[in-house]
Amino acid sequence: MNYLQHRISSGVIALVATWVCWISYTQKPAEAFLFPRVIATLFFVLAVWTFIKALLGRSKVGNGLSIEATKNMLPGIGIAFIYIFFAAKGLGFYLSSTIAFFLLLSFYDPAPNSEPKTWMKRVIITAGFIAIMYALFAVVLKVYTPRGVFM
Amino acid sequence: MKKLIAALAVSLMGLIGTAVAGDYPERPVLMMVSYGAGGATDFQARIVTMTAGNEDALGMPIAIINKPGAGGRVGWNWFATEAEKDGYTLAAYNIPHVVAQSIKGGVDYSTDSFEPIANWGADPAVFVVGKDSPMNSMADVVAFAKENPGKLTFSGAGLFVGHHIAALQIEKAAGVKMAYIPTKGGGAAAMKAVIAGDVMGGVNNLSDAFRAASAGNIKILGVADLERNEFLPDVPTMKEQGLDVDNASVNFRGVMVPKGTPQEVIDKLAATVPEMFKNARVAKRMKAGGSPMHIMTREEVQAMWAARQATLEELLKGL
Amino acid sequence: MEFIYYFGEVFTPISMLLLIGGTIGGLILGATPGLSPTMAVALLIPFTFHLTPVHGLILLGAAYTSTVAGGAVSAILLKIPGAPANIATTLDGHTMAQKGEGAKALQLSFISSLIGGVFGVLLLIFLTPVLAQWALAFGPSHLFWLAILGVTVIGSLESNSVVKGLLSGCIGMWLATIGFDDMLGVKRFVFHSSLGGGVNIIPALIGLFAIPQVITMFSKGRYDTSVEQIKVKKHPIGAAFKEVISRKMSLMIGTITGSIIGLIPGVGGQIAGLVAYDQSKKFSPEKAKFGTGHSEGVIAAESANNAMVGPSLVPLLTLSIPGSPTAAVLLGGLLIHGIFPGTDLFDNHPDVAWPFINSMLIGQILMCVFGIYIASFAARVAQVPQSVMAATVLGLALFGSYAVQQSMGDVYVMAVLGTMMYFLERFGFSAAPLVLGLILGPIAEANFVQGSMIAGATDGAFTYFFTGGLNIFLIAIAILSIGYSAWSELSTRKESA
Repeated sequence: MNYLQHRISSGVIALVATWVCWISYTQKPAEAFLFPRVIATLFFVLAVWTFIKALLGRSKVGNGLSIEATKNMLPGIGIAFIYIFFAAKGLGFYLSSTIAFFLLLSFYDPAPNSEPKTWMKRVIITAGFIAIMYALFAVVLKVYTPRGVFM
Repeated sequence: MKKLIAALAVSLMGLIGTAVAGDYPERPVLMMVSYGAGGATDFQARIVTMTAGNEDALGMPIAIINKPGAGGRVGWNWFATEAEKDGYTLAAYNIPHVVAQSIKGGVDYSTDSFEPIANWGADPAVFVVGKDSPMNSMADVVAFAKENPGKLTFSGAGLFVGHHIAALQIEKAAGVKMAYIPTKGGGAAAMKAVIAGDVMGGVNNLSDAFRAASAGNIKILGVADLERNEFLPDVPTMKEQGLDVDNASVNFRGVMVPKGTPQEVIDKLAATVPEMFKNARVAKRMKAGGSPMHIMTREEVQAMWAARQATLEELLKGL
Repeated sequence: MEFIYYFGEVFTPISMLLLIGGTIGGLILGATPGLSPTMAVALLIPFTFHLTPVHGLILLGAAYTSTVAGGAVSAILLKIPGAPANIATTLDGHTMAQKGEGAKALQLSFISSLIGGVFGVLLLIFLTPVLAQWALAFGPSHLFWLAILGVTVIGSLESNSVVKGLLSGCIGMWLATIGFDDMLGVKRFVFHSSLGGGVNIIPALIGLFAIPQVITMFSKGRYDTSVEQIKVKKHPIGAAFKEVISRKMSLMIGTITGSIIGLIPGVGGQIAGLVAYDQSKKFSPEKAKFGTGHSEGVIAAESANNAMVGPSLVPLLTLSIPGSPTAAVLLGGLLIHGIFPGTDLFDNHPDVAWPFINSMLIGQILMCVFGIYIASFAARVAQVPQSVMAATVLGLALFGSYAVQQSMGDVYVMAVLGTMMYFLERFGFSAAPLVLGLILGPIAEANFVQGSMIAGATDGAFTYFFTGGLNIFLIAIAILSIGYSAWSELSTRKESA
């Protein structure tokens, strides 16, 4: 199972390397791609080497992914994906961070969901986090972050 | 509940209100500089905008953000394609860089992508050599280049920037071939190459060269401008030394907005920004830093952009 | 000894206040992901408008030294290097923090920073003219070889498999070519508009180090950390001093490597820590312990980082050439007050130049005192529950990577690179060699192109790149370094077989 994963992953890397090589050697002007060509060639050789090693079943490092871990991470990755790629700009940094932070806490905090105390704690931690971020980035550093719906 | 709805309605109206430019600006304004923090453009941009928060200027501070890379292409490309056109995102322009890069191609902008607001400075290119160089005038440079075609190495801050334009003009005027070496890291890296002797000479900003020369590290042989500069009254222009080089390479720095910005905002900026540059504190700081000022209004800048476009199209034709 | 006369200026009430403010502010800014020392100093420049030149520079000097050290805080506690300089610190520092030895790691890092930093500033005070010549000795060919030498460090960073290390390095170098090519201005590998600006190093650092951790925490599910509560050990300061002193070799290697590399314009600061880590590992009798929370790793990396601060200002203060981005910003801070660095500075404004340098000396001490003071408290970060930690790091990653250039493109690059890195890590790759490639790729390329242009106009490429004492010296060290890594991998393989 682990070997299969190693084969697939190093195969993907070898494919990327081939593609990078292809672009470097076909794009113009050639002088701008001189350095990328050197890198791409090296990248290609090493990636193929790793792939062959994996095919021979000799890649011993790295733990791979278990089904359990994948199941666990999916909701988190889902929230993070929407948060970073859509909500941050659409809803503004502070609103989206508040929502994402609270959702992530609710998903991953092991405390029992049935008790009101748990929820209180989560709300307080979220509020604290946002307050610190606001103080640091908006007040001290004066970074103008996207405001989203709150122009 | 009624109160809540009323409050919502008021805040909604507030939202719509911001879309109308009447009260512009009502929050801090960003200005993008397409060179790194600490470079000549960044340094000057920070000084000329430091009084923006005054009531007689914009009444709101201007914050500088840097998007350096590839001689300014990264920043201006972002500005032309992704910056919001609401007047809250300004950018510093460097002419002839913007014009030369758009003529050369490969970028998503040209002078038509931007609306100039005002110009604050003009920094001519100068030709410099190391302090121990045997060359003491442009005539020496030309003589060396004639004897050793293609062997005179000289640095500048990249391709299709002011320094490169000056280099091309010098080569063309003298009818010689030299080896222009673009450096990564702006004028400072090009200057380092000259001082360290990596190259035999260089084209650099007058402001940076003035400093290096007063520290005794380099000699300045000529100014690529129509007249001598107030900071360097003893250095002759290229024309005085028999090279037909005009002011096409002079690095004009100023403020612009992307095309599509509301006209009221442009008018307001065009009226206030030149006045803001005239502030006495700004002038004092700029002089202290060795940076020549040259304030121009929107109309003057538009004329200058058009003139540069024509000159550079001619110069870069064969490249 | 002239500098001693100007200590008085540093100890006036206003100066002290600025020093303390600058140091504490610098530590906080340095510890914030996404804020490199360069940005921190640039943020402070507007404040100096309202100060006299001396006071302005005292503030900037204190902030510069303490942001460099502050970067170690997030590197150790969060495994997010504040700046490229702190990458090497994550390797052993974060492992220590996970074992509950965060207080010790922080103390070691601040004490080594102090020792390295003071040494560096003393070099700046006493040896400036000599050092200036050394800084100028590095032309394009030498910088190219130096970058190649830097790549050989990968052998030390990746102990499991040198091939995978090199492969990561290649991926990093390839990522660095994305965007506009700096020399010719041609677009390369821009398949999405957010890549137009290329892969910016700070967002990349945040993504590559922070995101895999966040995903790892997610992958544990609703995991109750209180089951195996990390015991955060208290660590007496005296013991930390003893530890640093007893690791003389790493301290010396770190300090000297940092000072020498810090001098070289354009390269220094970013790789000083990594090179020092590599060297001290090679000379250490306890090689195998590196990467498992070994004190020598932290000491070498952090002493090198701060040792670089003083010498990195040499080209600026003597020749008026900023050798690093931070020095460029400091140049602006000087110019605004009409002070030109160079001979003019020490001849006509000794009352500004010396208090500035002295402030960095005192700043180092203050930085160490405050740093140690917060160490045992800050180390408790290791006890924060996983759920809170994951959400916090994710939020910090978003804000931090956005703040660099106020660009959403950087945020997307950060997130994509980070996710990719998680999967790479699962299959035996690690982030440090990848980042090294990302840093060294552009240096190698720019200097190679520039060198070949000069060579083309003069003596030809072979003469330019392969002759001359410094070239041969650098090539020799690079070959030795590769040979050593290969030899030690082969010999460990035999042992284990």
